[in-house]
Parts: sequence; structure tokens; C-alpha cells
Amino acid sequence: MQQRNDLSFSYLYDNYSGALLGVIGGVVPDQEIARDVLQEVFVNIWRKIESYDPTKGRLFTWMMNVARNAAIDKVRSRGYQDSMKNNAMPENGDGDLAGVSVGPKIDDVGLKKVLTTLKDEHRVLIDMSYYQGYTHEEISKALNIPLGTVKTRIRSALTHLRTMIRQ
Amino acid sequence: MNVQEYISSGIVESYVLGLASPEEQLEFENMCRQYPEVLQARTNFEIAMEQQAMQHAIAPPPSLKEEIRKAVMEAAPTAKVVTMHTEPVVHKINWLKYAVAASVVLLAGSLFWNVSLYKDNKKLQSNYDNTVASLTDTKAKLNDIEKEIGLIQQNPNVKMAALKGMPDVSPTSFATVYWDTTTKDVYLMVNNLPKPASDKQYQLWALLDGKPIDLGLIENDFFTSQKRLLIKGKNLRNAQAFAITLETKGGNPTPQGTMYTLGNL
Repeated sequence: MQQRNDLSFSYLYDNYSGALLGVIGGVVPDQEIARDVLQEVFVNIWRKIESYDPTKGRLFTWMMNVARNAAIDKVRSRGYQDSMKNNAMPENGDGDLAGVSVGPKIDDVGLKKVLTTLKDEHRVLIDMSYYQGYTHEEISKALNIPLGTVKTRIRSALTHLRTMIRQ
Repeated sequence: MNVQEYISSGIVESYVLGLASPEEQLEFENMCRQYPEVLQARTNFEIAMEQQAMQHAIAPPPSLKEEIRKAVMEAAPTAKVVTMHTEPVVHKINWLKYAVAASVVLLAGSLFWNVSLYKDNKKLQSNYDNTVASLTDTKAKLNDIEKEIGLIQQNPNVKMAALKGMPDVSPTSFATVYWDTTTKDVYLMVNNLPKPASDKQYQLWALLDGKPIDLGLIENDFFTSQKRLLIKGKNLRNAQAFAITLETKGGNPTPQGTMYTLGNL
């Protein structure tokens, strides 16, 4: 029984750990912290595997979102926030949004490289929603843009992304 | 509701990337059930994202695997994992019984597959996606194998053989054999093999001093169910290499057919 689990783990790890670490790295720039998150992610995956519903999508999609959410949680955690010295965003009166950079991050790998092909106003929105985990409402408040505009721009950015990714 | 407009609205990407609201998710899931083209759009984008992620993978340091494995095994009891109903499903088969039982219907090589794709597009669309996906997996796996060949497996008693496709027959085929030298169990991971013809079946062999040892047949359902890891469960005392050949349905006591993959321990 234990052998089977070790092999299942090996299979998942060997095939997907690199891709997941890449996804995490897009949110967490520090490689050491990214690896900590990778460990949390595998533990989460193992624990929650029964909640994965194959009719809703591929296994990798599910794992990728587990990874992205764990990375975003890490970045938002008190410990991480305290350890970050260069916060680009001034206090807004809203504690949750303080200390998180709104501008596009410097990283031109993979999805991020595709992001550079977007218009600035679109890229910022994808960055904030996908990489930083903000809801449309929070973005609307932070950037002082109507909620409807946020949604429309994100959707249009995503369709653009789709054509760029298919290469 | 104009289905094409819905598909082009960005909802597919939102859903796959985890950005859709709960209401949007429910609606999308309904649309997927109702319209195969919506489901197809979802699968296509998922595969594109997966390929993207694989291409921009960051290899973790080799020592991390064992660290994470320990953390995972401590955190979750073993019982749950066995019910994993996804790609790496492991199930024990009585290979003797299987070799004797009637074989199931299998398909031919990829050439035949391409022709059939045009003939019966809808049915094979998902097979095509599985191929793309398994090719992606194979590429990633090949990368990992090339990097990690020579590293010791987690269990020092488990020996591994990488079975690579024969260049003239099927260069993209790939399989891995794990042989536990203490329990004598043999595990086969099929990373990529073309779906065989209806009157043919793959058979696994161990090679010792040039003589082949039958390890049993590979059942067809691994092509349809995305299962990739099988326990061959044979009491294998010694071997030097492993091979997979394509035999007639039901297999043969000694290999007669074309060799698809071969690998040494």
C-alpha cells in the first residue's frame, strides 16, 4: 500500500513539480519561499485529491490553481508582508491592499511574457486578479475604475491571451 | 444563447484560470454539459496552459523531492491516496488470468489513427486531446529523465529501466519500468505508446542473458481511462533489461511481434 502511494507521489512529482514551481514562481519571486509553497501545494493536493472533479477539468488545471492560490496566500500572509521592504503601494485606508505592488512585475517568462503584449490597462488587471488574487470589487476600488469596466477589460484581455498562448 | 459568442467572451479562460465567479462557474459547467463545443474549448485551453506551464517549468533541486514526499506522507493517511481516480491510478491485476482471458479491442498505430480522425471526428476528438496531453507529459517526463538519470530512486531497492521507443518503429514511445528487488514486484508506467490495432496487444518482457521472460499483457483500457501506472506483479527474480513488443491479441509465449520499446536496468 505504501509503495503504491510512493509511486503515485513520484509520478505526480516527477511530471508536475517543475511546472507547478514555475506557476508559483510567477507569484513568489524568492525561490526559497517558492519551494516552501511547493511543499504546501503537494500536501494540499494529497489531502484534497478526492475533491478533484474530473468532469470540471484536467488534473493539471486543478493542481495549477491550488498552486496559484497557495502562492497568493503566501504573498498576502502577515509574515511575508512584514519581510518585504519595498512596498510600491501607499496606504489606502484599506489594510488588505496596502503593501502590494500594483505595477506590472519584472519577469518575462512564459505567461508573463505573453502579458507584455497586452495594453497596460489590461495587463495591470490580469496581474492584480490572476497573480495577486484580487477580486473585481477590490480592483475597482483600488484603481478607481467602474466594476463593469474591470470585468470587460479582464475578459477581453483573456481572449487576447488565448490567441497568444496557442503557439 | 449564441454558443460561439459565449465561447469567445473570455469565460473559458476565466473558468480555467480560476477567475470566474461562483455564478459564472455554475453557468459554465452547465454550458459544458449542454454543448460539446464549449467543453472542447475548455479542454483546448487547459492543454495550452499545461503546455505553457511545462515549457516554463523550474526544476526543483533534487533533494527537495524526498523532503516533500516525507511531508506529504506525514500529513495525509495512506488510505485516501489509493482512491485517486486520476491519471496515475494504480490497480493490481492478476496477469496470469489476464493472459488467458479474451483480449479486448485495440486500435492501430498513429497512421491509422490520423485517418480515422477525419472519418469520425467527434468520437476521436477526445482521443486526439489525450494524445496531445500524453505527448506533453512525455516531453516533460523525458526532460526529467534526462536530468535525473543516474540519481538514486527514493527506495534504494527499486531499480528503474527507461524504455525508449525503437527509432524505426515508434520513436516517440516511452515507458518506465520500476523493479523492486526486495518484493520482486514489477511496475510499468506507460508514458506514451500508440494505441494498438484491434487484433493486437502490447506485451511486456524482461530480458535475462538474452532470453525473454513474459511479464504479461498490457490491457487496452489504459488508452481510454488515462491510467498510466500499472502493477505487473510478477515474481521477477532477475533481469537485465525490459522490452515491450506488439503481439497478436492474447500475446505469445515468446516475442514474435515488433519491438516498440527497450530499456536496460
